[in-house]
Formats: sequence, C-alpha cells, structure tokens
Amino acid sequence: MEGEREDEAQGEVIKMNERNIVYAMLYRQLKRYFRARSRVLGTIINPLMFFLFLGMGFSASMRGMSAAIGVDYLAFLAPGIAVMTAFSSSFIGGISVIFDKEFGFLKEVLVAPASRTYAIIGRALGDSITSALQSLLIIALMYVIVPSLRIEGLPFAIAICFITSLMFNSLGIAIASKMRSPEGFQLIVNVLIFPLIFLSGAFYPINNLPDVVKPIFYVNPLTYSVDLTRYFMTGISSLPIYLSLSALLLLTSIFTLLSARVFNRSTLD
Amino acid sequence: MKAISVRDLVKKFGDLRAVDGISFDVRKGEIFGFLGPNGAGKTTTINILVTLMRPTSGEAYVAGYNVVEEPVKVRERIGIVFQDPSVDRNLTGWENLYIHGLIYGLRGEELRRRIEESLEFAELTKFKDVEVKNYSGGMIRRLEIARGLMHEPEILFLDEPTIGLDPQTRAKIWEYVERLRNEAGVTVFLTTHYIEEAERLCDRVAIIDHGRIVAIGSPDELKQGIGGDVIYVRTGDKSSLMRLVEELQEDGMVLRYRELDGVLALSVNNASRVIPGVFEVANRMGIRIEEIKYTQPSLSDVFLHYTGREIRDEEADWRESVRMRHRVR
Repeated sequence: MEGEREDEAQGEVIKMNERNIVYAMLYRQLKRYFRARSRVLGTIINPLMFFLFLGMGFSASMRGMSAAIGVDYLAFLAPGIAVMTAFSSSFIGGISVIFDKEFGFLKEVLVAPASRTYAIIGRALGDSITSALQSLLIIALMYVIVPSLRIEGLPFAIAICFITSLMFNSLGIAIASKMRSPEGFQLIVNVLIFPLIFLSGAFYPINNLPDVVKPIFYVNPLTYSVDLTRYFMTGISSLPIYLSLSALLLLTSIFTLLSARVFNRSTLD
Repeated sequence: MKAISVRDLVKKFGDLRAVDGISFDVRKGEIFGFLGPNGAGKTTTINILVTLMRPTSGEAYVAGYNVVEEPVKVRERIGIVFQDPSVDRNLTGWENLYIHGLIYGLRGEELRRRIEESLEFAELTKFKDVEVKNYSGGMIRRLEIARGLMHEPEILFLDEPTIGLDPQTRAKIWEYVERLRNEAGVTVFLTTHYIEEAERLCDRVAIIDHGRIVAIGSPDELKQGIGGDVIYVRTGDKSSLMRLVEELQEDGMVLRYRELDGVLALSVNNASRVIPGVFEVANRMGIRIEEIKYTQPSLSDVFLHYTGREIRDEEADWRESVRMRHRVR
C-alpha cells in the first residue's frame, strides 16, 4: 500500500468510525489476552524469578548497598521489575501484527472503511492495558513481599507502566510491520531486551556510575520509566522527575506516531 | 450504472505483467466470474478492485467510484471474502462478527441484530461461542461470507470461494451465493479455477489467462462461441443416413459430419435449435430416426480452445496442495 494514497484516503473524511475502530481493536486485544491464560502466566514468571533470585542474593550479600541507595535493595529492585514486566510483555506484543499478516486478519483491517491510524492506536491501547495489568499483578505481589513500599504511589506506578507499555508496544508494532517472520522479530526482541533492561538502572543505581557510561543510560527510554516508577513506589529517584516525565511522554508520542506511520504504509505482498 | 467497470487495467510486478490490459463490465445484480488457472492474474485483479493494490495503469470503478481516487467510498460499498481465511482464529464466530460490525460503523441494537442474522444465514448460531480455530473449513467460509455481507454491501467479492473444500461443502457454498444474489440482489464478483463452479454459478464468465481476458460471455454463449455441439443420429440403414445428411447440409444446419458404424455425428452450432430441424427433415423424407442424442462442449473445452491447454495443469495442482497444507495448519 502506497503511503500517499492512504493519506489521501484519510483526508477523505472517515466519519463515524474513529471511536468504533479504536474500540473494536481494543476489544479484540483484550479478548485474545484473557483467552490465552498460559501467556498471562508466562510473562509474569520471568520477572518474578528475577525479583526473587536477584533480590534474595543481593539484599543478603550487599547490606552496604542499601545504605548507599537509601532503601532496602528489594524495595529498590521492585519498581525495576514492574517496568521490566510492562516493557517485555508490551514489546513482544508487536509480534501479533506478524501473525495477523500470516493468518489473514490484517486484510480485514486493511480493507475496512476506517482509519488505519486509529486501528493501530486501538490495538496499542489494548496491548498496553494488558501489559499494565501484568505489572499490576507483579507490583501487588511485591507490595506483599516488601511492606516498606509506598502504597500511595501505586496508581502512579501503574500509570507509568501503562505509558511504558504504550511506548514499547508501538515500537514493537513499527518493527513488526516491516517484518515477515515471527522468528526474526523474536530475535530482535531478544537482542534488545536485556541490554535495555540492564542499562536502565532497574537493577542498580546509576548515580555512582562513571560519567562515560551515563549517556548510554540517558538514551535508553526505560531509564526514565524505571526512575519514575521508583520515585512513586519508594520516594527515591536519580533524575529530576519532571525531566523523566517529559522524556517519557515525548518518546511515547514519537513511537506512537511512528507505528501509525509505518502501519499506514504497510503493504500487501 | 455498472457495478464494476474496468478499462485497460495493468499491474506489473517488476517485469511480470500480472494483469495485462484487461477491460470488462459487471452489471448490477449479476454473478460475474473470473475463470482461469492459478497465476492468471485473478487475485491481483481483485486486490486492485478492493483497493488493496494500486494499478500500474488503467482505470477501475467499483460501485461508481474510482478505486485509486476514492478508496474509502469503495470500501464502504463492498464486502470481501479473501482466498485465505481472514478471521481471527482465537476469537469466536460471534466476536469476529462483532468486530467486523464495529469496523463498518454499526453499533448497539442494530449491530447485535445483524450479528444474529448473519449467524443464522451462515447456519452457525449453534457455534457462535466456539473459537473459530475449532471450525471446519466450510464453517469458516460460511462465517466469512456472512461477515462480508453483514454491512450490506452493494458488491461482494469472493476470491476462490470453494478452494480446498469437499464437494458437499462446495455445493452448500454455491447455494449461499445463489441465495444472496436472489434474495438480497447483491452483485457478486468471484474468481475460480473450477470449471463446474463457473458453469453452475455465473451469469457471465471472463476467461483469463496470463493476465489477459481471452473470452467473455455467459457460459452458454462461450460454449456456442467455439461451435462445438455434436448431434449423434442413428437410423435403420446407412443409405438413409447419407440422404439425411445431404439434405441437412443443403439447409445449412450442419458444419461437419462423420459417419461411424451406422451413427451419424453432426457438428453444429447450437444443438437445441438444430435437433427439431433434423426431425423435420427426416419426417419429410420418410426416414425413421431410431436414436438421437447430443453433447455440449464444457467450459473446459472453451478454455482449451482459447488457451491451447487444460485449466488444471500440474503446477496448479501442486500449488493447491501446498495451499491446502497451509490451510489445515
């Protein structure tokens, strides 16, 4: 599909349908999610293991670190794990675009008299809601394990996890729209997922790092998500929260627009 | 106004001319078929008509709108059943219809009513809460046809509607298509490489090969066009046969004839018109006809006539078996 024509098509006044198609795609993603219960479990187990094994090991052997960062290591780690959950499940969620291509449902969307931009927004919203729900599940568990976490910060932490999901689901959709094989997409996700998590300050504080490596953290969108979530859950942060919030919202908008643009131009081959 | 109007349509993929300058019209309310082997350009033509592909050159109007200039207007007025299923297998039949209705601007009570009607039409009401991945191939097709009709399109596109289905299911799908034309007055554009399908369903057929339309008309016209009806006549003795054929030739009713073991084989343009004439002549001459029968050419003879080969070549069979494997996955 040539992009210019779709732009024209959208200029052609798509009346009724924006709300409907957003809702339709959202409905679909949610239905699919709640039907695949094993997937729900699968995406939670990984972060939970990180939390337990990493947390147990470090909080026991590095008591000095707690003093340096101002909170217990488990409390420090909890927001990182929450963001990790949102990030990994939303990013991999882009793969459904490839399955839709392969199993044909994509055509149903492409020939509809409705805006593709809104279709992709609805889809990203649906995936992000499910990812945020997963984070909520993890966070709830962590609040039980680590009573020192601030309960009043919970809604804000979830909100940040939701925005993070929107950002990375959009990125996933943008990448997946360009690809044909689910395996290839999975490879890309696997290659990116660990560097992004480890270079985000999810597992250790970034304040004390040498200045040469700090820029790597600053270009990583996850850094801002982790820092904000940590601020709301524990009260400590490495960066000014308005800076983090602005960076997060800006990046999310950019990735959302990018995914809409790429999807608008996606072709039948 | 025509339902579909196509002029000099060309679609190139690199050097390959998948659609090579075709022109045709589809009248409102008719079932129009593209008959041709796999790779003839049928699906490419459909993709252009349903606004999923841009033609290299030429023009196409669907429901009165140019497919390149006003794709959304076209999309609002058509329903499509693609060759490969385009339903969400992880959702139920009801949910698939619900999403479709929403996308096409239906809401509330109206939406729910149309879902129920569609399920009824597809005879899937009992299975509406079953995930589509548990449906049979025929059930999926029926669901897709019902879905394609749910928003009351003017024109329904069916790309190989019965490919890979067993004969009973195929007959059932044919019934559906006829019903929707007769009851709802929908114009149907379908592609097929099954001769019987074109013959049984279509009011008019375009035979397409290598991206070109080689013949177009009603199945009967096409068959008559190759002038191939054969009448077999047997009388009591050979001499009366010869007298009969001489007389018939004088009347200009017979193109060619052959005589074999006391049976006369007459090649004629239109057997149903010539046979009464044969009786008349025989009567006049006092010859008693003991047996008479005729055979009509099939569309497959028509295809052979225009393209010089059978429609089902080995390659097509191979591709189809690959497709079937893909579908059963």
